[in-house]
Amino acid sequence: MKTLVQLEILRTLRNKRYLMFTVLYPALLYVFFISAYGSAETVAGGLSVKTYFMVSMATFGAVGAVLTGSAQRISLERKSGWVRQLRLTALPGRAYTIAKIASCAVTTLPAIVVVFVIGAFEGVSLSATEWLGLGLALWLGSFVFAALGVALGYAAQPDAVQPIVMIVYMLMALLGGTWFPVGDSLRTVAQFNPVYLYNQLATFVQPGQSLDLAAVAGLLGFLVVFVAGAAFLYRKDTKQA
Amino acid sequence: MSTEVAAFRQVSKSYGTVQAVNGLDLVLRPGETVALLGPNGAGKSSSLDLLLGLREPDQGTVSLFGGSPRAAIEAGRVGAMLQSGGLLGEVKVRELVRFACDVHPRGHNPAKVMEQAGITELAERKVDKLSGGQEQRVRFALAIAGANDLIVLDEPTTGMDVSVRRQFWAAMRAEADAGRTVLFATHYLEEADSIADRVLVLHRGRLIADGTSAEIKAKAGARRISFELHPADGAAEESVLRALPGTVGLDLTTRPDGVRSVRIRSTDADAGVAGLYRAGLYPRALEVTSLGLEQAFLTITGEADEENAR
Repeated sequence: MKTLVQLEILRTLRNKRYLMFTVLYPALLYVFFISAYGSAETVAGGLSVKTYFMVSMATFGAVGAVLTGSAQRISLERKSGWVRQLRLTALPGRAYTIAKIASCAVTTLPAIVVVFVIGAFEGVSLSATEWLGLGLALWLGSFVFAALGVALGYAAQPDAVQPIVMIVYMLMALLGGTWFPVGDSLRTVAQFNPVYLYNQLATFVQPGQSLDLAAVAGLLGFLVVFVAGAAFLYRKDTKQA
Repeated sequence: MSTEVAAFRQVSKSYGTVQAVNGLDLVLRPGETVALLGPNGAGKSSSLDLLLGLREPDQGTVSLFGGSPRAAIEAGRVGAMLQSGGLLGEVKVRELVRFACDVHPRGHNPAKVMEQAGITELAERKVDKLSGGQEQRVRFALAIAGANDLIVLDEPTTGMDVSVRRQFWAAMRAEADAGRTVLFATHYLEEADSIADRVLVLHRGRLIADGTSAEIKAKAGARRISFELHPADGAAEESVLRALPGTVGLDLTTRPDGVRSVRIRSTDADAGVAGLYRAGLYPRALEVTSLGLEQAFLTITGEADEENAR
């Protein structure tokens, strides 16, 4: 299993499209947002623009990394027959999915770290514990989307998966505070948007705020739903060989 | 039973209304090299899927080395190369082969495996950049990545050119000589004829012939006796020719000069020729030729179709 995980990570890091889409793109957007809003400005209840978008671009990159890394690849590799080929090895059936999630988990790190580094240069100032805690929170949160990606990968054919992933990803981002803060009117709906909850994980770095436990609970709920969906679809796919 | 490598017992499988495998009964014994023949859609790939546990039979049981197919795979006793088996993209051939050797419970040295499969010179190439024949050889490498007791190959030489194909079968023979059981499905009848010591013919999901290639040919009446009968040598009744031992088919043409040219398809050419002389005939330009497995195959599947039509 270790070799499969290594192989998956190696492939992802070699993929230039991955680097463009999940690392470079959010980083550039981040720089753009800072200059568009003005770095001294504040949004959403006194939070500075550079902090707000640092988080939202880190989550944007992380979600993109795991969704494309799992959904599209699983779907493609089901079609190409690699999944069948793996079933002819002594590896247990779950190894493939676990390796995909593990490689996703590794590859979200650059997406988060690059945006953090830019943020630090732009003058986001947090304590060392806050930096670490924020990084850890966003990294752990990305697993929820990895599970969603696995489910989508088993749900559809490659030609359908790409648009499905893009639509799901963009809608969740649009209504989840990725490009602009969620206003009061949208907040009730946003409670059911995993990307919004994901962004809420970062609120503890604001003065006087602690970790948003409701968001944590919400994300755990989504995790359970996505994992159950992925397991169901995986079993269905295995029966069809 | 330790003498069974694989066993199908009354196995049936259908997809919707299509009966892909129909009451298959079959035992593979250690050390055999077995060819699986059949027209497209005969159930070859489905049978191999069932054998490897990629699909579950609707009825009957499939066992490998006395246990479930999955258990045999996990014990590292089976290597397989499927038509539908894909390769991982964005990795080098060397990395993929090393992976296969690593995950095999009785894995070989990757360099040795690549040499055996004839892909040493492809080691640094990306898997996505290979030709069809090269891809087949990489698949073969994955099938021999460890010390398997059974190797299953589904149309392994598709896309290979002639010299590569020869090299492939040499590698395959080495595996068989090492005592491994080999089961391969193929379209190329000469491959079955020259390599397999047992031939299975599958047609519409049923096993319609099982034996050595010589036996299959004999079953189909796979020898042809041809000769000429000249008017000067005396008359000969057609019924006499039909009554010759082993005759399954008769083709008679009369030339303008009165010479009759006779072609007999026979399951027992020796007795047929002896009978000719015993009947007092004088066959000229006598020839006895083997029809080859291809003709035998067409005859057998054709007969099965006729029976179905009845």
